This record gives sequence, C-alpha cells and structure tokens, in this order.
Amino acid sequence: MRTVAEINDKIRRGTVTVWTITEAKALIAQMGVAQAAKTVDVITTGTFEPMEGSGAMINLGHTDPPIKIVECHLDGVLAYSGFGAVDLYIGAGQMATPGRESEAEEKGGGHVIADLVADKSVTLSAIGQMTDCYPRASLDTTITRDRINQFYLFNPRNLYQNFIVGVNGGDRPLSTYLGPLQPRLGNAVYANSGALSPLLNDPELNTIGIGTRILLGGGEGYITWEGTQHFPLQRRLPNRTPVGPAATLAVIGDAKRMNASWVRGCYFKGYGPSLMLGIGIPIPILNEEVLMRCSVSDQDLVAPVIDFSIPRRVRPTFGLVSYAQLKSGRLTLEGKTVRTAPLSSLYFAQQVALDLKQRIDDAEFELTAPVQSLPTDTRFMPQDSWGQ
Amino acid sequence: MKKRLTLTFPKRTINMPITYRLAKDFNVAANIFRAHVAPDQVGKLLVELSGDIDQLDAAIEWMRANHIEVSLVNREIAIDQDSCVHCGLCTGVCPTESLQLDPQTHKLTFTRSRCIVCEQCLPSCPVQAISTNL
Ligand code: SF4
Ligand code: SF4
Repeated sequence: MRTVAEINDKIRRGTVTVWTITEAKALIAQMGVAQAAKTVDVITTGTFEPMEGSGAMINLGHTDPPIKIVECHLDGVLAYSGFGAVDLYIGAGQMATPGRESEAEEKGGGHVIADLVADKSVTLSAIGQMTDCYPRASLDTTITRDRINQFYLFNPRNLYQNFIVGVNGGDRPLSTYLGPLQPRLGNAVYANSGALSPLLNDPELNTIGIGTRILLGGGEGYITWEGTQHFPLQRRLPNRTPVGPAATLAVIGDAKRMNASWVRGCYFKGYGPSLMLGIGIPIPILNEEVLMRCSVSDQDLVAPVIDFSIPRRVRPTFGLVSYAQLKSGRLTLEGKTVRTAPLSSLYFAQQVALDLKQRIDDAEFELTAPVQSLPTDTRFMPQDSWGQ
Repeated sequence: MKKRLTLTFPKRTINMPITYRLAKDFNVAANIFRAHVAPDQVGKLLVELSGDIDQLDAAIEWMRANHIEVSLVNREIAIDQDSCVHCGLCTGVCPTESLQLDPQTHKLTFTRSRCIVCEQCLPSCPVQAISTNL
C-alpha cells in the first residue's frame, strides 16, 4: 500500500496524514478498515510509565590531571565505572547509598537522571585508581548536563508488551514495584495502558524493530535491540496480542535533548527508585493488516491477575481480565469487588502520542524502517543452576 | 454546618453512647470516619458533625465538660499539579474515592469535600505529589 520512504516523502511535502492512536480507534470504527487504511499514513502511540530497566551512560570528559574512576557516587547514588577512565553508567533502580550526602532517603538513580535532564546540578564524588596514565586520586565536583561530555539514556528493558495485574491475597500490606497492595484483595494495580499501548497495536512487531526511530523522553531515540526478558513466545489470543508480559525493547537516546516533563524520578515505598519515562512510537500504515491491528480495543486485550502474597517466581493467578474491565475501575475476584488503579499514566500516554503526531505534521520527525526485525522465537530461561 | 473533629476519650468515658447523646440532646448527626477504641485504652474518633451551628458549639462544649478532648481537623490534602503524572495509583487506595481518574480525560481529580484526611494516599504516590498542609 505504501512504504516508509513514501511516507517520509509526504512528511517533507507536508501532505502526510497522521492520527494519534486514540483518534485512530474512533475513525477506524467510523469509516471501516479499508477506507481508514487508504486515508492514514502514520498512527502515533505513546506510553508513560515507570521503567526500571533504564539507565544513563555518562562520559564526563577528562580532568587534568586525568583520573581512572574506580568508584563514583552521583548525589549519593552509586554509578558503575568499570569501563575505564571517565565513563559511568547510572541505573534508574539504584538506591542512594545509606550515609552518603544525598538529602532525601527515598531517592535513587532515576532521580539523578531526571535532575540532570531538568538541568539541575548533581554532586559527583569519585575515587581514582592512580595509574601511570591516570594519576589523579579523587574528584569532587558538581555536574550539569551541559558540563558533561556525553549523556544518553541506554535502557536495557523498556516498553513491556503487556504486563500483569497485581493483587494481594494475604493478610498484611505489601510494598511492591506496583505500589502498595492492600491485604485481602484490597486493591488491584495494572501497569499497561491497554489499547493505547504501543506494542499491543503492532502485536507481532511487523513495523517496529532495530533501528526504529522513536520519541524517548521528549527527544529523539532509537530501538537498539530486544529488551532483557524479551519473551515473544508468550501465549497469544487469536488477535495475536499476548496474554501477559511478552516483547520488550532496548532503547537509546540523547538525554541532553530530552524534556524533563517526560523523564521523572519516582520511588515506590518499601521497594525502591525507578524512572518514569514517556516513549512515543510511530506505526507506519504499510497495509490494511497493520491498520487492522491498530483497531484493537480494551475488550480484546487481557492481562493475568497475580497474587503477590506468595513471593515465588511463579505466583498463583486469579486468571485473565480484560483491559476494559480494568479501566472501569472495578474487578470481581472470588465474589469480591476490588478497586483497580493504573500505574501507567493514560493521560500522559495520550499527550506523548499527540506530541509525536505534532512533530510528524511539522516535518520535524521522519520515520525509519527497521534494519532488522526483533527475534520472535526467544525462550525464557529461568535461573535454576543451584538450589531446588 | 459541618465540622470535622478528632475526639479523644479518656478511659472512663469510652462506654458513653456518644452519638446517641449528640443526636438526642443536640440534634447533631455524627458521621464516623475512623475509630480507634480498645478496652482500657484512650479512644479516638474521627467524626464529621453536622447540625445547627449553635447546637454544634453546645455539643462541643458538652463533650469537653465530659472530659472528651475535642480538636478541629484542619489538615488538608494538597496535590502538587506540577509533580502529578496522573498515573492513578492513589485512586486505588483512597477509601472515600475522593481521588479518581476522570473517565474522559484520564486526569486525576480530587474531590476535597469527600476527603477524610486519612493519608492513605500519601505513601502510594511514586512522585511524592501528595502532601498535607501540616
Ligand atoms: S487522605 Fe484519605 S480520603 Fe483523602 S484523598 Fe487521601 S486517601 Fe482519600
Ligand atoms: S499517585 Fe501521585 S502522581 Fe499518581 S495520580 Fe496520584 S497524585 Fe498523581
């Protein structure tokens, strides 16, 4: 029907037709798949949610005399330095080291990354190895994003294709990565935006792959690889969407050009820090099949309800529930009405999709065809090397 | 007229049928939000009293005369609009459904008049957007 090159041509000529995923659902229902596929060139999707599998690469630039960092804290949060000289990696889920200078206890790598993106200054305290090439013993300074050589997000696991719903069937409150789960099925938390979610609108990743240009934290980014725990073989419904966590993506993007609104540090009480991140993905409407997949609705998407009170790798489940049910705010489990709440921001997800649409309309963002598809047959290997 | 109060009962007044007396003697309705009463301990009630303003004052005076400690609840919940990301996590733990997501826009809405300042939402917010004014 159309190629990515043709779409880019239209973008440059200002004749491209772009819909956000929310607009697309309504318009497809109105005009039908065939007509909609003829009309629209690109559908933009977005998501905004905590993505613990994120982190930033920092190259400080060399000091004089030079230093080879062996240990480094940024605002009291440990950054990995095992790359030589002045390369650092700070992970979103890294907790502030107790007793370091960080003012707030409930703070971690996600906050340091968000502060740098917001152009705030961050203290750096590093110890050097002292070699003949790098004689310096220590470095204490403050950095901002404009005073470091390079600063980019390099996220090993983002954008889960579907996720789980957490509940607590036990009798004490639990602090989880989904926030507080109250005892005796007091609440349920889901963490995916369902029909708005990028990877549920291209369930077999036919248009999305390595090299796809995306919107990452309000700046430009790219899909670089499958994410860790990528599990495309998850059981799927006839509409090809997975019934639980499936594909994941590794992404990269220049953090110096990101926008603080879409990159925010967060902290789950009793669990730890993370990074909330906005990601937008364009879906080029190459043919009717691609468009048809974008018409999926919350009724046709499901997630498993998992009991967190049993802390084992395989937790008991209460079966599958649809996103339409989850978004209604209530759910019935064992004859009991349970309140549901999202963790993925549906409002911000739509804002991200809108932002991406605007950029394509304004010819500020062109599409890329993937240079390589993501693997579709990776198994999930558990770590059973000892014990049991 | 409505007033939100925290009532603290010394051990010996715990057995007093307080809501009955408020209703019968002062025509004041008591809506109990939270109660913590255990045998041989100081009891605490978080209540909203509604009635005629003079009778409310008279009722409060009567409670104080009976050694019930009365303090006005004027703590309030505040949501920092710049920090809130509208994730909705707080809506699942709010017992009064003061916090909700707008079904159309999916933005967080806060109905202050329903809030009982139980503070359950505070620790649920991952970006610390919720605070009390105290
Ligand atoms: S203080 Fe309690 S009632 Fe008020 S908004 Fe928070 S959870 Fe709801
Ligand atoms: S939990 Fe916090 S960020 Fe999320 S909607 Fe509530 S106030 Fe906003």
